[in-house]
Amino acid sequence: MQIKQLIEKIEGEAELDFTLSHGRVEDVTINFGFYRGIEEILVGKHLLDALVITPRVCGICNHAHLIASVRAIEDGYQKAGVEVALSPKAKGIREFTLSCELIQNHMKWFYLTILPQLERLVGAETGENYALKASYLSSTITKALALFAGQWPHSSYAVPGGVTCDPTYVEVMQAQSLLDETIRFFEEVVIGMPFECYLARDKALHLQEIAGDFGRLLGLMEREGMGEVGQSHDRFIVFGEEIFFRSGKSMATTVSGVDVRYVEEAIQQGSYAKAVSYKQRLYEVGPLARAMVAKEPMVKSLHKYYKDSLLTRIFSRVHEVVRLLDYSKTLLQNLRLDEPSATLPTLPKLDSLEGVGVVEAARGSLIHRTRVVEGHITQYDIIVPTQWNLSHGNALERGIAIEAMVGSETIEKASFIFKSFDICSVCTTQ
Amino acid sequence: MSIEKTDSSYDLLYRSFKERIAQLETLPKMDESNSIERAIEEKGFSRRDFMKWAGMMTAVLSLPSSFTPLMAEAIKVADRLPIVWLHMAECTGCSESLLRSAEPTIDSLIFDYISLEYHETLMAAAGWQAEQNLEGAIEKYKGRYILMVEGGIPTGNAGAYLTIGGHAKKGKDIAYEASEHAAAIFAIGTCSAFGGVQAAVPNPTGAVGLSEITHKPVINVPGCPPSEKNIVGTLLHYILYGTLPALDAYNRPKWAYRNRIHDLCERRGHFDAGEFVEQFGDAGAKEGYCLYKVGCKGPYTFNNCSKNKFNQGTSWPVQVGFGCMGCSEPDFWDTMGVVGEPLSEKLYNTTFSGMGADATADKIGVTLLSATVVGIAAHAVISTIKKPKE
Ligand code: SF4
Repeated sequence: MQIKQLIEKIEGEAELDFTLSHGRVEDVTINFGFYRGIEEILVGKHLLDALVITPRVCGICNHAHLIASVRAIEDGYQKAGVEVALSPKAKGIREFTLSCELIQNHMKWFYLTILPQLERLVGAETGENYALKASYLSSTITKALALFAGQWPHSSYAVPGGVTCDPTYVEVMQAQSLLDETIRFFEEVVIGMPFECYLARDKALHLQEIAGDFGRLLGLMEREGMGEVGQSHDRFIVFGEEIFFRSGKSMATTVSGVDVRYVEEAIQQGSYAKAVSYKQRLYEVGPLARAMVAKEPMVKSLHKYYKDSLLTRIFSRVHEVVRLLDYSKTLLQNLRLDEPSATLPTLPKLDSLEGVGVVEAARGSLIHRTRVVEGHITQYDIIVPTQWNLSHGNALERGIAIEAMVGSETIEKASFIFKSFDICSVCTTQ
Repeated sequence: MSIEKTDSSYDLLYRSFKERIAQLETLPKMDESNSIERAIEEKGFSRRDFMKWAGMMTAVLSLPSSFTPLMAEAIKVADRLPIVWLHMAECTGCSESLLRSAEPTIDSLIFDYISLEYHETLMAAAGWQAEQNLEGAIEKYKGRYILMVEGGIPTGNAGAYLTIGGHAKKGKDIAYEASEHAAAIFAIGTCSAFGGVQAAVPNPTGAVGLSEITHKPVINVPGCPPSEKNIVGTLLHYILYGTLPALDAYNRPKWAYRNRIHDLCERRGHFDAGEFVEQFGDAGAKEGYCLYKVGCKGPYTFNNCSKNKFNQGTSWPVQVGFGCMGCSEPDFWDTMGVVGEPLSEKLYNTTFSGMGADATADKIGVTLLSATVVGIAAHAVISTIKKPKE
């Protein structure tokens, strides 16, 4: 039996075609009926224009696109022999703003998608309007972001060699108080316990100790056996090196190095989305992958029991928020405002360059590749996280999200698993 | 209600607003069991917050403060005018900026509350049901609803670059049909107003602004993203006046897009003094000098960002030293040129070429603009001669 299902509320929409047999999902095809052609548009533009064009790929991870594009240019300069050394201040500001974007994304996903849909799925609706909590959290933290980046979405303040903003202690204090407010709300409402207590746990943590809305979500998931479903290939990859993220790939119990040169893109039949693989194999990206590669104790201990299940995947994303909030606090404390913001006094006039920019976006590794001839872009590739997770698969194996959905008893459950990957349609097809 | 005014010329306007509100009041509410007042109260806003907000919106629309109580009344009858919000080819950034990243401000509550009969990123219904909701809303509120469209309209390849819903309808057909029966049409954001980023050369999908596919008048509220105040203001303006606002040559409401960024810029004093940032990160940047030479397009861009700012008034690009990129002008991706480089003498191959000839609505703006260009050239010379300040 074939059933078509439209999935909305994923920054655009996707169409899933389910094949069912014996009351279970046997196969799924994922299609996006949407295309804008951003990579084509970049061709012929001045190399710096990528800094403002690529963020427009996505209204929700636009800042990550900005960082990837600025790094691609910096990498190109460096390969051409121009030294690009960011000041610790510029680096810190970029990390802080990136953390803020990740936090707002994860919390919107949690409150607008995962929690209400899980409640509906298992018939445990509270009728609460979670949108308000989502927007309170995300607006508070994006204000902190905007203090350095000017606005969100579509910030433009990162330039080759640093950032354009010159914050004073006033802005830093404002950012600190916005961050404190986010943490307070998070403690009271999301996890229902003090930060220190939460962070003091490693593997000994019993999920039952977590209270608040996150606790409620975990409780429902455990009750429904969601630690047993949604498993995929249990293979993870991370390319970005920042915040507390480390690059590498994790398979079985080993973590090994990766090289972005082996990332390949391929056109897929019947969809505007391209598939992406690493040495011909498929990998999951995102918060679960980041935790697995960095051997984050809490996620590792959960993974030991539940593998890459729905429960582990969802836990990892919210868990990442706690760590990001904590890390951001330290970042602000360590900012030295007397350091320079941008360190390339004049932008080198280079005729030709080729560079790769990598960043850990909310949904996983984001890669930009730029090729510039006579100051103008001749080729630009944007490889977004969702492409990794939503590839159709190849002759050897199914795509990551498809494998996770296969075996589900109902289409509703499968769609929920699909959303646990935090899908972004506009990024995937651009 | 007593009216205190100093300027009697507003009497007529005040009376016409009152009539308009009374008229709207007779229309059926969208949801008889609820009211905006109650919704606002439920979310924990006090009457004082609400009046403060009404006062701010009054100022945004350049009305005297004595109109504040009317503004408050207007918003209470807003639920007689359902809104249909459509997503076309876009990044979802406009609604991110309006609805999700806004704290539950009254702005976003009002949008949340007055209908949004069809807003994919918000509504709980998914898939087939969403499609039915749209058709239902159009049928039910024929000739009465306000259509807000976010995103450009791909027309290339017969519109195949955007298919929506279970019947794989083309985006352009949905937008056309929804426009046919709308009482007023607002294009929210630069994509919907002028085609936006996807319409940049070579425009692979043939993306156009909404006004290109409908014969009905479209009010453009551009910006990438647009300010939430401009979106809500456009709506309130329509509620109060019942007619389209005064528009400029690009169909932008004059109350919001009358001035150039440059006119109200906080760094303008430095521009006038010939003090420029020469390179990002230099001493001038630390001093907050003018960003013209590092690519600010504020002198050519009409919008009120310096007043509204973003993220609830937190900041805006000029404040963090990047400069304006011209995002509320048509085709700025191609015509405003390179990020980080001034437009200067390239001006006449740009957006404004030809504008001088048929300057009707914006005659004054354009004249001022040419004066500024001369000013910039002069300043640029001065500042290269002058030693940078210690
Ligand atoms: S050129 Fe830009 S930074 Fe300078 S005064 Fe004008 S708008 Fe402001």
